[in-house]
Amino acid sequence: MPRTRLIFVSGKGGTGKSAVAAAIAIDHARRGRRVLAIDMIGSRGLAAHLRATSLTYRPTEVRAGLFAMEMNRSDALDEYLKLQLHVPQGAPTGPISQALSVLADTAPGVREIISIGKPIYETWKNVWDIVVVDASSLGLFQSYLRAPRTIARLVSTGGVARQADKLEGTLTDPGVTATYLVATPAELPVIETAEAITAIDRESLGPRPTVIINRFIPRSGLTERDLEHLGSGALRDAAALQLGLEKDQARWITSLDHDVRLPYLFGVHTPGEVAIKLADEIKVPL
Amino acid sequence: MTRAVVVTGAGGVGKTTLSAALGASIARLGASTLVLTIDPAKRLADALGVEHIGDEPALVAGSDRMWAAMLDVSASWEAIVYRYADPEVGRRLLQNPYFRAIADRFPAAQSYAAGERMAEYIETKKFDVVVVDTPPSGGGIDFFRAPGMTNDLISGRLLKWLTGSNMPGRRLMYRFTARPMLHIADAVLGGPMLGDVANFLIDLRTMYDALSERSRTIESYLKGATTIITTTADPTPIHETRRFFDELHGIHIEPAAIIFNRMLPPAWMKAASRPARGGRDAELHAIAVTNLRAWATEARRQSDAADELSARYHVPVYPVPWKTPPPQNLDELDKLIEPTGIVQDLLS
Repeated sequence: MPRTRLIFVSGKGGTGKSAVAAAIAIDHARRGRRVLAIDMIGSRGLAAHLRATSLTYRPTEVRAGLFAMEMNRSDALDEYLKLQLHVPQGAPTGPISQALSVLADTAPGVREIISIGKPIYETWKNVWDIVVVDASSLGLFQSYLRAPRTIARLVSTGGVARQADKLEGTLTDPGVTATYLVATPAELPVIETAEAITAIDRESLGPRPTVIINRFIPRSGLTERDLEHLGSGALRDAAALQLGLEKDQARWITSLDHDVRLPYLFGVHTPGEVAIKLADEIKVPL
Repeated sequence: MTRAVVVTGAGGVGKTTLSAALGASIARLGASTLVLTIDPAKRLADALGVEHIGDEPALVAGSDRMWAAMLDVSASWEAIVYRYADPEVGRRLLQNPYFRAIADRFPAAQSYAAGERMAEYIETKKFDVVVVDTPPSGGGIDFFRAPGMTNDLISGRLLKWLTGSNMPGRRLMYRFTARPMLHIADAVLGGPMLGDVANFLIDLRTMYDALSERSRTIESYLKGATTIITTTADPTPIHETRRFFDELHGIHIEPAAIIFNRMLPPAWMKAASRPARGGRDAELHAIAVTNLRAWATEARRQSDAADELSARYHVPVYPVPWKTPPPQNLDELDKLIEPTGIVQDLLS
């Protein structure tokens, strides 16, 4: 049986990570794979890009072979207790569930471990070819990746600790897990993405992330010298804007190693169209 | 009275730059203005001539009445603890590992701290206008909800469940840790986390009365503030803008205006329909026409989106042109906003 691949998609806010996560999921589904897409923070961004009115904790098929779900903390907590901690029969699950819920609101790492646990359990089930996670933005994503260790520092024995250890094994296994960081060719996204990669590497939080540059403005073939031959008016102004953007993006793109470029989409109106058009641009499956 | 201008919007639309630009325009018209920012790009800090924007307001280079300050979340939480907790409890809280975790991670923490900062600057009466660039948490909506959420954290079901409905004292802990079900919980979870957490919450709760009153004050400032939503025509920010209007309406906050960033001249739509000409430079001309046509589809999308938002929510839409490179100094920041007339419309 083929092993499920687990793909996390994160990035600075506003870089289009939900769109890219949706596009990766659509692309794999089009290639005939059975895909689960998870909105890990319940932002509804993934739903919009998959043209689903709303998503629930229970995966629903949003197009052929592509299932989608949204994280929900209380459902995730119940599942965690029953399936992962094996809370014994007859034990008062009410109080334990409440105790855990209190911890999740307060103690470092507990909420994160419950959230990041879900996509990993789905991976362990071996019923999907690919699990694609629309993860949170860069800072929060790193605290999710650190969660197993944060937990290990707080508790050394018991179910939570054993579980955290197992989760970390999957998170750091390059044969299973891949991370894509989405950046646009602009100052803050480039700088923060580079910082996130350094942190993930230094702390060995997972396999080295792959960088996707989104909204790359395709070169026009115009040069600065051409501007004077275009007179004045819309033709010249649009050329000047294009050249200015090309110059600015060139400045930032050279300082971030990246593997994939997805183009700026001109004149696209809805999140659903964006995801489909980006999926069309994925030539080699991610 | 100090006026508050709250600038919100989806990530990546230029919210921080527009907040600074609003501040620059308001200050130029004569009001002493503080821009409270979250995480400015180095380039924006350079444009403001504030090499290192700190937690304390600093005068922006080239102005005698525009100030800038950056929000340092953990410093703000420390300030809150010192202000509202008994000194001994305050010391204990600041040393508690859970406190740092909450301060850094409670999703509304940054938003609450920003609201608290805003309130402080309104109350010092040192500025005529405080422009607040809102933190991105919860897509920006947390800023408006944080006071209530913080209240829930301290007063909510957590502590009620752990300690009963009364304001607990420390000795209650003995009763609490004696509960058999907690032993089961600790055994499953690998405790003793719960006792530690409860201790922390009890300390936190001593701030409850002061903090909940403060939360109500911050909420009243938020309702009295001029709220501006920033967006671009990209599908995600448009989607988010609709969500802002709907959710803010739910908490009785009605945005006063939309600033539509990176707008292209509507004239490009018509110009793009002209055919490319032949003759000399025909090849260059063809490339330039192809380029203009691509951008004209953007102009079309923008004009559709702006019309739709304005019709749906009955608020004025102020277009800010797409400038490249971004503003390099205070004057260029001012010129981004000044031609729109938004400052005169909303603040005079």
